[in-house]
Amino acid sequence: MVNPVLLIVIPLGLTFTIPLFGFISKKITKYIPILGMIFNLAAAITLIPRVLQAPIIISLGGFPAPFGINLMVDPLAVFLAVLIALVGLMISIYAVDYIKKGATQSYHMLYLLLLVGATGIVLTGDIFNLFVFFEILCISSYALVAYNQDKPGIEAGIKYLIQGTVGSGLILMGIALLYGYFGTLNMAHIAKHIHSITPLSAFLPLALLITGFGVEAAIIPLNAWLPDAHSSAPSSISAILSSIAIKMGVYSIMRIIFTLFGASSLLHFLLFIGLITLLVGELAAFRQNNIKRMLAYSSTGQIGLIIFAFGLASALGIKGALFQITSHALAKALLFLTVGYMIYRSGSMEIDSLAGMGKKLPVISLAFVIGVFSLIGFPPFVGFASKFLIVEATLVQHDLLLTILLGFVLLATVIECAYFLKVIQIIYFKESNKDPDQTRKNTSLAVLIPICILMVLVVGIGIYPEVLSKILNSAAGMLLDRGEYIRSVLP
Amino acid sequence: MSYPDIIFNNLLIVALGGAFLTYLLGKVSQNVRNGFAIFISSVLVLMVAGLHGYGKELVYARFFDHPLILRINNLSWLFAITITVLSTMSIIFSLSYMKDKTRLGLYYMMMLLVSTSMLGIVMSGDLISFYVFWEIMSWSIFVLVSYNKGPALAAGLKYIIISLAGSLCMLVGILSIYGNFGTFDISQIAGFIASAPRGYIVFILIMFCIAFGIKNGLMPLHVWVPSAYTESPSPFTALLSGMLAKMGTFGFLMIFYIMLGSRIFLYLGQGRLSFHYILCLLAGITIVIPNFIAVFQDDAKKLLAWSSIGQCGYIILGIAFGTSLGLAGGIFHFFNHAIFKALLFLAVGAVEFRTGGVRDLNSLGGLANKMPVTFIATLVGACGLIGIPLTNGFVSKWLIYKTLILNGSPFLAFAALIGTWGSLLAIYKLLHNMFLGQLSEKHKNIKSAPFSMRLPMVILCAVTIIFGILPGLGLNIINSIGISLGFESLGVNLWGIASETGTLNTINIFAAIIVLVFIVYIIFRTGGKSVLVSQDNSYAAGAYVPADKYHYTVDFYNPFYTMVKPWLKDRIDQFYVWIGKISEKLAEFVRRMYTGDLGNYVIYIMLFLAVLICVQLIWRPW
Repeated sequence: MVNPVLLIVIPLGLTFTIPLFGFISKKITKYIPILGMIFNLAAAITLIPRVLQAPIIISLGGFPAPFGINLMVDPLAVFLAVLIALVGLMISIYAVDYIKKGATQSYHMLYLLLLVGATGIVLTGDIFNLFVFFEILCISSYALVAYNQDKPGIEAGIKYLIQGTVGSGLILMGIALLYGYFGTLNMAHIAKHIHSITPLSAFLPLALLITGFGVEAAIIPLNAWLPDAHSSAPSSISAILSSIAIKMGVYSIMRIIFTLFGASSLLHFLLFIGLITLLVGELAAFRQNNIKRMLAYSSTGQIGLIIFAFGLASALGIKGALFQITSHALAKALLFLTVGYMIYRSGSMEIDSLAGMGKKLPVISLAFVIGVFSLIGFPPFVGFASKFLIVEATLVQHDLLLTILLGFVLLATVIECAYFLKVIQIIYFKESNKDPDQTRKNTSLAVLIPICILMVLVVGIGIYPEVLSKILNSAAGMLLDRGEYIRSVLP
Repeated sequence: MSYPDIIFNNLLIVALGGAFLTYLLGKVSQNVRNGFAIFISSVLVLMVAGLHGYGKELVYARFFDHPLILRINNLSWLFAITITVLSTMSIIFSLSYMKDKTRLGLYYMMMLLVSTSMLGIVMSGDLISFYVFWEIMSWSIFVLVSYNKGPALAAGLKYIIISLAGSLCMLVGILSIYGNFGTFDISQIAGFIASAPRGYIVFILIMFCIAFGIKNGLMPLHVWVPSAYTESPSPFTALLSGMLAKMGTFGFLMIFYIMLGSRIFLYLGQGRLSFHYILCLLAGITIVIPNFIAVFQDDAKKLLAWSSIGQCGYIILGIAFGTSLGLAGGIFHFFNHAIFKALLFLAVGAVEFRTGGVRDLNSLGGLANKMPVTFIATLVGACGLIGIPLTNGFVSKWLIYKTLILNGSPFLAFAALIGTWGSLLAIYKLLHNMFLGQLSEKHKNIKSAPFSMRLPMVILCAVTIIFGILPGLGLNIINSIGISLGFESLGVNLWGIASETGTLNTINIFAAIIVLVFIVYIIFRTGGKSVLVSQDNSYAAGAYVPADKYHYTVDFYNPFYTMVKPWLKDRIDQFYVWIGKISEKLAEFVRRMYTGDLGNYVIYIMLFLAVLICVQLIWRPW
């Protein structure tokens, strides 16, 4: 059995070997993130059968919980670790040919650090450790957003930096309050004793933590950094941020609400926040002329949908939310990667400049269409399976208020359809007014491989969604069952 | 395994594989691909024909551990055979029509994919399959409607947004049923739903009816129809109007009679205020108004599009009315309308093809001698549309009138009658402005339609007339469908149908007409000599009229138009456009929240924290 610590340690070690390899040859450094992620993917997948039987607890340094830091690998953690590794792998393959200019070595280091941070977040069982990995994730992303070193990129990076730091400050305050109350930083221990303090004093750290993590999770009104950051960053970074980084914020919030505090009454609030985020995100995307900004706003909308699904608080709802995380990660990565290449070929981020791409880049345009159809929720793609679960989870609760809210959620889907399909029409059915192709460059393999693999996954999981059911059922059960979590860590 | 078993197990696989294979073959050679497309669609016709009278159920896959079921019975068979026949006709027609267009691989693949999804819809035994195939059909239609670029893009977008809204209503209905009854299997639901409270049944019905009404073009959900039909390529419009809209009809039949059963459906409410009667009233409005809007159209396809909406009103009226005659009339009219509307769209497509894309009725004319087959086709289609005896439209309209009169609905009978007047005016305008009158100078050298266009038109003409003379061919199956849906049997035989107030015997009508024609012919021959008059010889009360200038097609119904014009605003369309504009304004307003000023954003963060704490202090949810 692979020790789950290696999932964090090996990519971290590889990060620091990048400059060493850089001395030998600049070209090798491109492949090191790929190596790291292949290892992570393989290791995480081999952990799945063990974890489905019982969660794996690793105490670092031999100190038992609640004194030392421990890793808590439950089905939710290992599933998210697989997702991170998979999407990270795809995007690192894409970056081999996409990132050519600038400080490429630093890019690859920071990219691998970002993924280390993300993996650490899902695997850890200690709240300050969570914060540490969260900061690793955030700081890497601040730097990567400004990678292009042009004015919009630097401006977006600084705005993201400041808002993220404010959020991190709030998180730190929350953790400090918790430490003051309980004298420990271990999540299971805090969860066990959370009811020993008055509700109001327990609520303050909760509010601070939600707000702080909410900045990264991009809930309204904390997500103002997202459109700038995701549109000014290089497309591979936009892809990893939209697919993975913001989901880490959502995971942290959910871990805190469900496991740490057991605040199931807060979930109605989550429903509304999720719905408002969804509607605002989709409406704002409607008016965009810049394709990457449109995709960024769409990401905020989808986060709203995921939070709405979490707010349903049933096992089916959480399963739907996790499925939506998967389908959005795959589809958004696909969309950003294809759009990145299209922008590279057309030279502009305006939607009108994408006209005629259907002829120039047939495979990539097809991938874009598949990504869009999956996002809207057309069968037979994976987005349909996840939306199906969410609607099912809402309707089985037989609650009139929920059904009305569901109506708004579906309204957001219609809005989404309107603006995305307009883009598809422009790609396929509008004539490009630039002169017909000067030199027919071939799309490089490094760009095509991840796009094709993501396409196959989107269609494959869509046709046979049962393949994820087993692990998602366990993950959902684990998130809802605080007692199980506490019992596994603290015997 | 018997032949029908083998066919049934593999029908969808053949159809789907055929669609993808067609696209791939197109990379090799255009002609091979075209031939293969025709081959596959013909194979599908034969396969479906082989399933006649067969009934079976098959679990073909699982989705999240729910079984997906395929089911075939008489109703599915009737729809399936119409789908495959019309699809073959359209693809044969496309051979010449689409010859000079680009991206033909996409076109043929989508045409076959649309047929596959329709076959899937009519053969679904559970609601998930139904929804999946319905959505695949929806986005395939979107691709094909947007195919022609230009104004077609706006039409396609309008279509898909409205269609998606309907589909999501249906999804809510489907999952709500699952939430209450725990199954997606249609026949199992039919067992459970009888015990559900009536209010809940009405809610479910409304959810489904929105989706099916949108597809079928029921007012006020019809707004996507005129632009989508006009802008899509003509062979696809034939399929769209002929079959795709009728998927809504199939949906209605499925939900009213298979899932709910006539015992429940017809008694939801009291007396006149029952669900099915309100639906009949909506159908009545759909019959009257669009047929008259069709009268004022100048674009041939738009005229036919509005006329289609009107005819679909007849179908929904027959189905929702709830008597066995009505049901038979509705289903038969669905079949007939599919045939003659496809015929009309193909004929208009042929004229459009030969004149280089001209659809404007004000500039066409006199093409009867140049394109005789197309003219006969349009004439027969027009007769079918109006409901002239000897065509199939007559039989189905007769059935619908009969049931409306017999069951004491004078309003609806009158509405149906007015609708026929409207459709008569509209289709005569089409016929006259395209084929009669004088030939314009620029059309003097038009050739007749190519063979691959004439063939489907001739076949559809023949079907129209044969089913008009021998309606029993269709009515036998429809009668068995009616019996299986719980209605009483009708006295159907090969040449007519019996009812309490008299039999419709088309053979007698046919014989009478033959005799009449013979008599007229004798009189004509033995009468005085006839003078051959050239086509551009027109009468102008003695004044000289240059041949090309006098062409009585522009402002064809001008007196009528000036009478109705003040009221002729498409308010329903304006309503939807208004909703679109409001959404855009809202979107713009929302977007301004992101002001771009960093200080604002940090304030937002602090504000959120403050709101959270306030919520806790005031309402104490935790």
